[in-house]
Amino acid sequence: MNSPLLTVSGLAKRYRRGGKTIAAVDDVSFAIEPGETLALAGPSGSGKSTIARLVLRLIEPDAGRIQFEGDDFLALSGSALRARRARLQMVFQDPLAAFNPRATVARLLDDPLRIHGIASRAERPRRIAALLERVGLNADLAPRAIHEISGGQRQRIAIARAIATNPSLIVLDEAVSALDVSVRGDILNLLLDLQAKERIAYLFISHDLGVVRAIAHRVVILDAGRIAESGDARAVIGAPQSAIGKALVMATPKLHRTTAS
Amino acid sequence: MTALLSIRDLSVAYRRDGREVAALKNINLDIASGERLAIIGESGSGKSTLALAIAGLLPASARIGGRIDWQMSEFRSPHQPSCLRKTPLSGRDIGFVFQDPSASLDPVMPIGKQIAEVARTHLGLGWPQAYARARTLLERVRLPDPGTALRTFPHQLSGGQKQRVAIAAAIAAGPKLLIADEATSALDTIVQAEIVSLIRQLVSEDGMTLLFVSHDIALAAELAERIAVFRHGELVEIGATAEIVNAPRHAYTRALLDAHIGLDAEPMLRRAGASA
Ligand SMILES: Nc1ncnc2c1ncn2[C@@H]1O[C@H](COP(=O)(O)OP(=O)(O)OP(=O)(O)O)[C@@H](O)[C@H]1O
Ligand SMILES: Nc1ncnc2c1ncn2[C@@H]1O[C@H](COP(=O)(O)OP(=O)(O)OP(=O)(O)O)[C@@H](O)[C@H]1O
Ligand SMILES: [Mg+2]
Ligand SMILES: [Mg+2]
Repeated sequence: MNSPLLTVSGLAKRYRRGGKTIAAVDDVSFAIEPGETLALAGPSGSGKSTIARLVLRLIEPDAGRIQFEGDDFLALSGSALRARRARLQMVFQDPLAAFNPRATVARLLDDPLRIHGIASRAERPRRIAALLERVGLNADLAPRAIHEISGGQRQRIAIARAIATNPSLIVLDEAVSALDVSVRGDILNLLLDLQAKERIAYLFISHDLGVVRAIAHRVVILDAGRIAESGDARAVIGAPQSAIGKALVMATPKLHRTTAS
Repeated sequence: MTALLSIRDLSVAYRRDGREVAALKNINLDIASGERLAIIGESGSGKSTLALAIAGLLPASARIGGRIDWQMSEFRSPHQPSCLRKTPLSGRDIGFVFQDPSASLDPVMPIGKQIAEVARTHLGLGWPQAYARARTLLERVRLPDPGTALRTFPHQLSGGQKQRVAIAAAIAAGPKLLIADEATSALDTIVQAEIVSLIRQLVSEDGMTLLFVSHDIALAAELAERIAVFRHGELVEIGATAEIVNAPRHAYTRALLDAHIGLDAEPMLRRAGASA
């Protein structure tokens, strides 16, 4: 068996709010293999995004260890951390919201190539065209401003930005939740294609158990910061054992179609 | 089946950057009294525009064509019960619940007062009766400890609890029509299911008509008796829920149904020689 790509053990994060301490993440452990999709599911406030931020080292844990590509990720700093960050990327719900809407697609894709020293200035336009192609977009989108492209195209650009640095793991926090169903399927297929071709692993956060079941290998179900249960995504969602797992499955809207599509 | 309202050739256009954008094009639609009708469609298809048009809440800049005829003989007038109006009033005859409850709740007013004020304004009640009604409403939307809850502020409540309060305020004046525009979209699945079941119960207890706007076809099918499918400002098709789900006439409806990823969907994952 491979050694895991990412191992999280005993992770904990507390917040103080209104005089009370909230255990946002409480003794959470899991591992992700190369090329695997691990989903995090759970009700609002169960700690999914906090785990994402901890794994990305956007915030520091109160306790626990994170091993990434064989190293103690929490001990890395300076240039070693920067180099390793290129291997660990993220896509959020509206990932381009933070950018100036007048910024061009080319500019957005140029950033990671420049910052991580992946391609020389002369080489970058070609790299940008290649990236657009890898996410199923036409290269002539490059000069467009991000406010001039559709929601589905924006999410493809966010994915292109994430894969620009050849990551081994991408954290996706509700990355398809705001998309119309007609483009959601295309984006999920793009993610699966990239995974098959480039062996990228995903930490896939979603409140939608249907989507989790369709694309994840394994799932971790969280409740109040703790792991309620975990296992093969289809087995867990097909027959949840925990109270919260059962409640989530029960609450998922079901479309009863009698005719085959 | 008596119609609550008939929409005839309704068109709505917004002005944006000096141009007119058509948001609804020649919509013809009857809403039956007491029915639960869902409006579904993708982002920008005109769902909210229709809901706002029915509630008379479109911005003044919107250009409106066509008619909305209310078949009800009269609407109550709070202060002069003998005076009956021909047009409905939003807040009294129509209750509206938005996606973001914070948008409809005043952050600096206790929630009890907000609900009582609706009852005072539209039913002509005095404060004591209005507060009593607010308390009953908080019980009906199953907010824990309603007596104390009257004095709490919106920021002290969770998203789901805020939406319960918004629903209480929306039904405070006993409206004929309740419009819920993506009222559960920002909530997690479990809270969404609770709010949907609450809406179903309130609508049936009070004999209200429900217009349920959603982009989620499965959720719409669980709640509504009829579904209207919108696309690019047009009504693609409308029918009984079972018809729309099992025998859609329009290819677009079929595409929406096929794009739904339910708990019984075919897995999309090809095990890519990776993990064990
Ligand atoms: N910066 C913060 N300060 C205080 N409390 C926080 C902070 N970030 C998160 N929390 C709290 O930690 C808990 C976990 O939040 P988190 O955002 O991880 O949940 P989530 O599972 O991502 O929920 P959602 O599905 O709503 O996105 C919640 O109780 C939340 O209020
Ligand atoms: N106040 C406004 N001014 C200008 N254009 C508007 C306004 N409100 C809506 N529009 C436009 O009208 C069209 C229909 O919008 P509407 O909000 O009715 O769609 P919707 O189906 O509710 O979408 P969503 O699912 O995103 O809520 C869109 O093109 C939208 O951009
Ligand atoms: Mg989150
Ligand atoms: Mg809308």
